Amino acid sequence: MSKSFKALGLAVSALALTHLPAAAQTKVTDQGISASEIVIGTHQDLSGPIKGWGVPVSNGMKMAVEEINAAGGINGRKLRLVTEDSGYDPKRAVLATQKMVERDKIFAMVGPMGSPTVLAAQDILLDAGVLQLFPLTAAEFTFKFDPAKPQERLKFNNLLPYVESTRAALKYMMEWKQFKKPCIMHQDDEYGKNVLDGFNQQLAAMKATPASITSYKRGASDFSAQVAKMKSDGCDLVVLGAVLREPIGTMGEARKLGWDVTFLGATPVNVLEVPALGKEVVEGLYSASGFEIPYEDTAKGKVKDWLANYKKMFGSDANTQAIIGYNAVMTFAFYAQKAGKDLTGQKMLDALESGEQFRDIFNSPPTKFSKTNHLANTVTQVQQIQKGRWVLVKDNLMF
Amino acid sequence: MRFLFKTDYEDDIRLFPHSGYFVSYGILFALLLTAPYVLSSYLMSQLVFVCIYATVGVALLILTGFTGQASLGHAAFLAIGAYTAAYLQQFDVPFPVYFLAAGLLTGVVGALVGFPALRLQGIYLVIATISFAFIVEEILARWESVTHGNEGMRVKTLYLFGTAVSRDSPAFYFLCLAVLVLTIVGALNLLRSPTGRAFVAIRDSETAARSMGINVSLYKVKSFAISAAITGLAGCLFAHKLSFISPEMFTLQLSIEFIIVILIGGTFSLHGAVLGAIFIVMIDPFLTYLKDDMPGLIAGMAATMGAGSERAAHIQDSVAAFASLNGLKGAIYGIIIVLFVLFEPLGLYGRWLKIKLYFQLFPLYKRATFKRQKIYVKSERNR
Repeated sequence: MSKSFKALGLAVSALALTHLPAAAQTKVTDQGISASEIVIGTHQDLSGPIKGWGVPVSNGMKMAVEEINAAGGINGRKLRLVTEDSGYDPKRAVLATQKMVERDKIFAMVGPMGSPTVLAAQDILLDAGVLQLFPLTAAEFTFKFDPAKPQERLKFNNLLPYVESTRAALKYMMEWKQFKKPCIMHQDDEYGKNVLDGFNQQLAAMKATPASITSYKRGASDFSAQVAKMKSDGCDLVVLGAVLREPIGTMGEARKLGWDVTFLGATPVNVLEVPALGKEVVEGLYSASGFEIPYEDTAKGKVKDWLANYKKMFGSDANTQAIIGYNAVMTFAFYAQKAGKDLTGQKMLDALESGEQFRDIFNSPPTKFSKTNHLANTVTQVQQIQKGRWVLVKDNLMF
Repeated sequence: MRFLFKTDYEDDIRLFPHSGYFVSYGILFALLLTAPYVLSSYLMSQLVFVCIYATVGVALLILTGFTGQASLGHAAFLAIGAYTAAYLQQFDVPFPVYFLAAGLLTGVVGALVGFPALRLQGIYLVIATISFAFIVEEILARWESVTHGNEGMRVKTLYLFGTAVSRDSPAFYFLCLAVLVLTIVGALNLLRSPTGRAFVAIRDSETAARSMGINVSLYKVKSFAISAAITGLAGCLFAHKLSFISPEMFTLQLSIEFIIVILIGGTFSLHGAVLGAIFIVMIDPFLTYLKDDMPGLIAGMAATMGAGSERAAHIQDSVAAFASLNGLKGAIYGIIIVLFVLFEPLGLYGRWLKIKLYFQLFPLYKRATFKRQKIYVKSERNR
């Protein structure tokens, strides 16, 4: 090889080397961090179709902020939370996000609510270098990222995804009780589709076939047709890709027909409202879940105080949604603390990707991220309603 | 006060009746052209949404305001436009082509909806358009091979003449503005043509229109098709602005928003579409602004009026707590709309005309000048 070729080769490789890290560099903003405070933002549905989630989540977030500030803040900086109402409207979510990035100068977006709303506003955050942390949608786009697109590294999620949790819970139930004819009834939207995907994938992996697949429109209150069909199809396990009222309606209908069948809900079924409203109708319902729901009279230590504080602050009992909101802010605070006194965007990103474990007070599976994995965990539990309460059946489930 | 003497037909249909129009619209246009270099991208986003909503508003005005056919199905037309664009974009079809295709396809669907609507009037037509919207929503959720069902579709960045036009760039704003301006000019031209006059005649009295030799069915279908096509074009821009579309975004709620645009703006003039769109899009950011800044302002006022700093801080906290009550914004929004319907049925543009006339005639203004005369709802008695 001639000298000039070598020189050319060296020059090219040097050029390539200097360009490679530049291409993979993620731009992270330092805005919103001052000597005395850190500003974070969130958009919630406080007045739209899923305000049953948005309101307690934002309550939980507020409570976490007050607790952190009362304890002296994060490395001496107080936390300020800006909450905007999106009403589950993507247009308003986009505007709210731009407002928070530009006017309020938020450092990170923590726990924004809903799939279409989060997705429509996502690019605005990433382009501005604002972290998108722990959105309240378990869809894949909130944690899967393309290493070739450096700004996508700003996405992190700690919510148990529906596909994975459904698979883990279904696998456990199928192996435990030897069901032969699993069926599913799912909500006719993006969430229900995720549960259906998890159901189908797991059955395919276990070489089983679904006996019946039915769906319902969001907001439906009559499930007699679906239940009659599943009964005639001979189902022995019914997976519910449903939310809150539907498990009650479906199980009530099954009882009316005298049909004795096992029900397994996806994670959104695992909320206090289901046994509270369903009473004896939902007795025996199984559900996939991420963590145990604490009850005031059986809770101990920190959790007991937490429940009492929540009730004092908001005049209502804490629920799963409130815990998720509270944990979102607490997880942020944990990693911001780890990032150190001279907090910057880059240091926050490094802290999040450091692999350091965050453990909450509710004994949930630990939260941990890495440079390649931005989803906290997929560890699932199965719980059952016994005597009007959610009781843990089995934890540490994977598929 | 200026008196316009119309001496021939041209005077009557002129788009700019006198030189004052050139001055005021020239200034407005100059402001709109400089806006992206002055305003933040938060405000620019609002302006983009105003352009898109106003385009739909103009479409709805042609159908509802000028032809007298109410529709609660325009969210479906918007969806068809948005999905056509998103679908064709996957195959690297250039923007001008899928933009026009979105308009064309939506127009064809609009005409098809127009046919069964020929036999329906008033409230029954509204019900028919609502059911059409439900059918479209259902198809979008079911036809997974094309629409990806409930998962929704990502809409990629727009490429125009080989350059990327990001949804927050000034270029995208200019695009939306151009579409709006062309739509308005087109609509103005349409309305001063025989077709436009036929629309108005149908609105005022179908029987009279028919007796004058107007083919009522043909013009109704035309009106539906034109209105739907314009909405389809707006749908394409809407999809690009949001960068993601899913069936649950095009619900009855959105159709109602569009109706509110023209009710608040005023159903008798195209100005209403723009004013109504400004109201609908900007009321929410405006209330947010109040929520953020009012507590501080009120506390400042209290302090200057002699309240102690502790008292002022207390006032600030309680105002802030009140302002961030869940659902307060929705309530304010609702109250404003109710007040409009009760006290200003001519909408924002009607109010503007009244204010203008008040100053022009000062001190001779008569309140009865704007007494309700003939608007389309009233003329339904003469079918």
